[in-house]
Amino acid sequence: MAKLEIVNVSKSFGSLEVLRDINLRIEDHEFVAIVGPSGCGKTTLLRTIAGIETPDRGTILVDGRAIDKPGADRGFVFQQDSLFPWRTVWQNTIFGLEISGRIDEETKKRTRELLRLVGLAGFENYYPTQLSGGMRQRVNIARALAINPEVLIMDEPFSALDAQTREVMQLELLRIWLQGRKTVLFITHQIDEAVFLADRVVVLGRRPGRIKEIVPIDLPRPREFGIKRDLQFIAYVDRVWSLIENDVHDSVREDAVALN
Amino acid sequence: MADKQGGDDIPRRKSSFLAKRSSSASALSIIGGLAIWEFCGRFLVKNSLFLATPSQVVEEIIELARTGELGIHVWASAQEFVIGLSIAIVLGIAIGFVMASSRIGEQVFGPWVTALYATPTVAISPLIILWAGIGVWSKAIVVIINSIFPMIINTDAGLRATDKHLIDAARCFGASRLQIFWKVSLPSAIPFVLAGLKLAVGRGLVAVVVAELFGSRAGLGYLLVQAAEVFNMPRLFAAVVILAVTGIVLTALVGRLERFLLPWRFVGQESK
Ligand SMILES: Nc1ncnc2c1ncn2[C@@H]1O[C@H](COP(=O)(O)OP(=O)(O)OP(=O)(O)O)[C@@H](O)[C@H]1O
Ligand SMILES: [Mg+2]
Repeated sequence: MAKLEIVNVSKSFGSLEVLRDINLRIEDHEFVAIVGPSGCGKTTLLRTIAGIETPDRGTILVDGRAIDKPGADRGFVFQQDSLFPWRTVWQNTIFGLEISGRIDEETKKRTRELLRLVGLAGFENYYPTQLSGGMRQRVNIARALAINPEVLIMDEPFSALDAQTREVMQLELLRIWLQGRKTVLFITHQIDEAVFLADRVVVLGRRPGRIKEIVPIDLPRPREFGIKRDLQFIAYVDRVWSLIENDVHDSVREDAVALN
Repeated sequence: MADKQGGDDIPRRKSSFLAKRSSSASALSIIGGLAIWEFCGRFLVKNSLFLATPSQVVEEIIELARTGELGIHVWASAQEFVIGLSIAIVLGIAIGFVMASSRIGEQVFGPWVTALYATPTVAISPLIILWAGIGVWSKAIVVIINSIFPMIINTDAGLRATDKHLIDAARCFGASRLQIFWKVSLPSAIPFVLAGLKLAVGRGLVAVVVAELFGSRAGLGYLLVQAAEVFNMPRLFAAVVILAVTGIVLTALVGRLERFLLPWRFVGQESK
């Protein structure tokens, strides 16, 4: 049975059709990346999986159970910086546990370990304003992992970071993932990021978002930066790029027209 | 957690250095001002009907304190102020909350709040005194109608300004509406509420004195009119000085409250 299953999901906002018949099965422990041009509905798909947006048609299943609201089985890392500025690193990280009333010695111990895992031990009492962008995103990841979700869902978590920090965070994420082996659904604009991280790359087409193709990435793990110079890696990137190239051009042009 | 102390030290040391420097500048400024005042009072404006010197004012304050008069007046004003401001805070936050969270609330209170916020409500204090007598409550009411509007408006604005992404994040963790209010909307509104409180304190202080001018048996405003009627300049200035000091102390208290409630706003920028 698939860990996360998206069945015939469609969604419109008024007359704007955003998602059309999305079907996707994600296996346990799998790392799946979604790429697609801006505005094709990636965030909307994610919010639907989160249960804070309801699909017009279709179902989302976690472990075979249909979901209709947010739950501790899914952990989220958002596109925007969404830490609570009035909470310290520690208070931010335990937010999900607090909401579901699951704070006890054991979960606290687990959370402390988690903060060490993401490299933030010793920063528990810092406020988000005292952290760098990379550190803030680590807190975001820790906050999502603290509820011990079945599936970790990340919406362009590194898009606000500079190129070097971004690369480091990619490695960090792989390291964290290899330790916990969660199922991960990862959205990104950057094709090489998708290929570097994922077992499969799902390519979404321009709005209305549809799945154009799913590209399995057959590269050995654990992966290091060096792999990005590998011919096979470059071939994968080219392949994904060729799949979305026209769409990206079109969507940029469309946005420009809409502006005029 | 203990090991974060090190990182904390740096801004604090810097801030105390800057604070020392700026506070010595302030001290100089105040001492200089007092000296000029004293000089003018002694040598330039000889007529004691127009000006009292700082030394006379200090003497007067000591005298008032000794006879127990000062205590009576401060106590009377303090009562009126505290009762009025407390009610304004509680009621103001409550009304602001109702306005932010229900459409009907907004429609019912909105027009009144907008209309009355900009009105100098202190002008109707004679009317209030006429209706409610010259006791504590009439002055408390004047404080309420002056202090409540900044509380309402800022609470309402603060609750509305809550970042949508933060609400979404909380929802993704399964937060209920009530939890979102307590853990997201309310904390993010606190800076606004405190800004409103600052305004409310200032307005409330003015309200107490003005209301007392129009009719009272005790209080700093009363002390002020009494002194003015008999041209007792040292006493008049004593009342003014006490009010000024009260204003400074209250502002400092709100500043303390801010630091206590919003520690995250002060980390890393303490040198300001
Ligand atoms: N709540 C909403 N109401 C109306 N339209 C919406 C809403 N949310 C998203 N949209 C529209 O749906 C489309 C898809 O938005 P979405 O945020 O899912 O795109 P995206 O693929 O995540 O884009 P990006 O890569 O730029 O983040 C956009 O055209 C957007 O304007
Ligand atoms: Mg998006």
